[in-house]
Amino acid sequence: MKAFDNFHPVAPFLYFAAVIFVTMFTTHPILLGVSFACAVFTCGMITGAKKTLKSLLYALPVMIVIALTNPLFSHNGVTILFYLNGNPVTKEAVLYGVDISVMITSVFYWFKSYHAVMSGDKFVCLFGSVAPKLALLLSMTLGFLPKLKRKYREIDDAQKALGIYSRKGYLDKIRSKIRVLGILVTCGLESSVETADSMRARGYGLKGRTSYSVFRFTFADAAFVFFTVALTAVICFLAYKGAADFRFYPTVKEINFGLESAALYLSALLLSAAGIFCEIKENTVWRLLKSKI
Amino acid sequence: MAVIEIENLSFTYTGKTEKALDNINLKIGNGEFVVLCGESGCGKTTLLRLLKRSLAPVGEKSGRVLYNGVEISELDERKSVTDIGFVAQNPENGIVTDKVYHELAFGLENLGVDSDEIRRRVAEVCGFFGIGEWYRRDAFSLSGGQKQLLSLASVMVMRPEVLILDEPTAQLDPIAASDFIATLKKINEELGTTVILSEHRLEEVLPLADKAVIMNRAEILTCCTPREAGAKLRELAPEHKMNYSLPSAVKIFSALGGDGECPLTVREGKNFLENNYGNVYGGYDVEKEDYSAREKAIEISGGFFRYERETPDVLSGLDITVYEKEILCILGGNGAGKTTLLKIMSGVKRLYRGKMRVWEKKIKEYGGNSLYLNNIAAVPQDPRTLFVKNSLRADLLQTACLMGSDKAQAEKKVGEIAEKLSVSHLLDMHPFDLSGGEIQKAAFAKLLLTSPRIILLDEPTKGIDGYSKKVFAEMLYELKAQGVTVVIVTHDAEFAAEYSDRCAMFFDGQIVSADNPVNFFSTNSYYTTAASRISRGLYRNAVTADMVVELARKNGTRKGSGANG
Repeated sequence: MKAFDNFHPVAPFLYFAAVIFVTMFTTHPILLGVSFACAVFTCGMITGAKKTLKSLLYALPVMIVIALTNPLFSHNGVTILFYLNGNPVTKEAVLYGVDISVMITSVFYWFKSYHAVMSGDKFVCLFGSVAPKLALLLSMTLGFLPKLKRKYREIDDAQKALGIYSRKGYLDKIRSKIRVLGILVTCGLESSVETADSMRARGYGLKGRTSYSVFRFTFADAAFVFFTVALTAVICFLAYKGAADFRFYPTVKEINFGLESAALYLSALLLSAAGIFCEIKENTVWRLLKSKI
Repeated sequence: MAVIEIENLSFTYTGKTEKALDNINLKIGNGEFVVLCGESGCGKTTLLRLLKRSLAPVGEKSGRVLYNGVEISELDERKSVTDIGFVAQNPENGIVTDKVYHELAFGLENLGVDSDEIRRRVAEVCGFFGIGEWYRRDAFSLSGGQKQLLSLASVMVMRPEVLILDEPTAQLDPIAASDFIATLKKINEELGTTVILSEHRLEEVLPLADKAVIMNRAEILTCCTPREAGAKLRELAPEHKMNYSLPSAVKIFSALGGDGECPLTVREGKNFLENNYGNVYGGYDVEKEDYSAREKAIEISGGFFRYERETPDVLSGLDITVYEKEILCILGGNGAGKTTLLKIMSGVKRLYRGKMRVWEKKIKEYGGNSLYLNNIAAVPQDPRTLFVKNSLRADLLQTACLMGSDKAQAEKKVGEIAEKLSVSHLLDMHPFDLSGGEIQKAAFAKLLLTSPRIILLDEPTKGIDGYSKKVFAEMLYELKAQGVTVVIVTHDAEFAAEYSDRCAMFFDGQIVSADNPVNFFSTNSYYTTAASRISRGLYRNAVTADMVVELARKNGTRKGSGANG
């Protein structure tokens, strides 16, 4: 994930927000198909192809379950395929189920990529300028949790190695663990007193606090943000004009290939594939650069 | 010119009647390196905190503390933040944010410095401290020594004139501690920053200091040069506990009643001995003890261990035998896996390959609690983790009950053990409020309630002063006399040399040598005690300060030398 790592956190944040927004607010099969394909590809480029393929093995059965659940509960639609326990199962309901399952899975894959790209510190940086106090709190929490976790393990090991955990059944075990959690709270409070000292000693509370970040907003970031925002605006406009309308009930509408619709499909493709494009470009550039080293 | 001037300073904490500081007068010159020493509870921390405005404790204060002629409490708020830097004892809690770069920038953010300026100053500091490689790392993933260095760097980024450190090395192992102290020296020499440091590991700090301030019960006993410290202590307070914490060279010099300039470093100590003392009696002869008749308490053969499937081995083909009724010290470098070895011995972690027997019985055959009940007990690096109740008494009573006594029995038992370890007066305190030496004793009290046959200790001497170490060793001896086997994992060569029966060197996942301490340390030339380095070449097998003194006395002074031992 070279490209997304080089961006200022604002760029990927807006990008993922845009694609997830577009995916969630449409039922149009072409838009969802494009989104799904791009989501899986982007995820593959960011988290690794092998991992993504493996995750597809789990995702596909889930998709099938979702797709099959809809016709069991929804009996709308006119084309009856067969009766199950006296209830009609319709073609329209099956297709709608497939459509929804594709939407859910694409959102899932977009979030997976988002999660891999936006590490804690990027998120903190994102909020640093908007809500500096919140950002600091977030940063402190992110630092505090691993500390607490390690402390828990230390105490747990120490208790175990003294043989304090009793041997009688689960209730006693749970009681022992609760004791450990109790002292963990005291530990946490104790350490936060010292942390507060350290903060005050370094001038926390003085007027005019600034927020520092290691990320710089460059021209490339600006271009990417502009591209994302412009395409999203175009998509929204065309959808507003009705190009993204689609219905499954009572009969499945035919897919429109008019000028407006074609423009919509194209912009959705451009937007969804932007991540992949950036990754490929950056990887090629990197390979080229590497060959010169 | 004095940068810090303390005039008739007295301080009493709110709600207490006893003075925490009593009529302190002290002048600290610009660019001085000052070491503040004294036993725990003598007011060091209170004094240091009164020098930093935002950390000043609540209580009744009289007298004045001046920074460049201005009373500290009247100092401009920003100036008091930037000019006086403070580093606390525990690096774990001093770190505020999650990323190293954010931690470094934290102080400057508070001051309202803009991003570009912060970037420049942080870069500068990273260069000076050589920590650029961790810049983007998570702060919690650093080691203890690295964390303390980060705490220091994130204070130095504000360019303080005076740097105050409250026992900064107490939680560090000796190697990280000496690195840290070397960095302080660098700051002092290259930047001209005034350094005021409280410390009880004097072996390394004293030779670097310009001034030693020795405190005793809320008062300053003496303020002198490090070279005079030994003599002054002997003269003013021969019973003072700091006498046990002095560098080996000073101890030897003092015990021999040397004249003239007191040696501080190993080199000076060596010169002093060689110039003044003969070596007719060349040293000690030690014979290896025969262990074959003893029962084997713990035996590991061909042990392999790793934490996760993909991580490298921590133990690889480890062979070790612990015999009954011995004190075995396992020494070794940082992060070598010594703590892991103890976790294996205590049954918290299991070998993936190899055999481990406890009292000649496979570890698998110990079901439920039987491995621990009246058998093995371990104290981790931080003894505080042993306690889960809000008072020591409640905690000990609970342990006694869990070990199968009824209430009346438990109370009797706790009372007896507390009496024996002289912790009765601490019973109603919260375990977290105890000092380093006290918590160590409390941990022992808890340990003894389980009446163990094998005790495993992880770095027991970390953060405690020389006197507490001696007290601690006496407890160990008593246990040994009762037939308890003790295994200690430590960095503390001086402690191992003085008090162990056998020492073993742990390296590369294996035990590379195991021998009695005299042989062990006299054949080592890097990983050894200061006393052994001082006496090397003159005497054979003298590894502790006491041994060196005894040999020197026996040999007598050379003719024409200045010493009069």
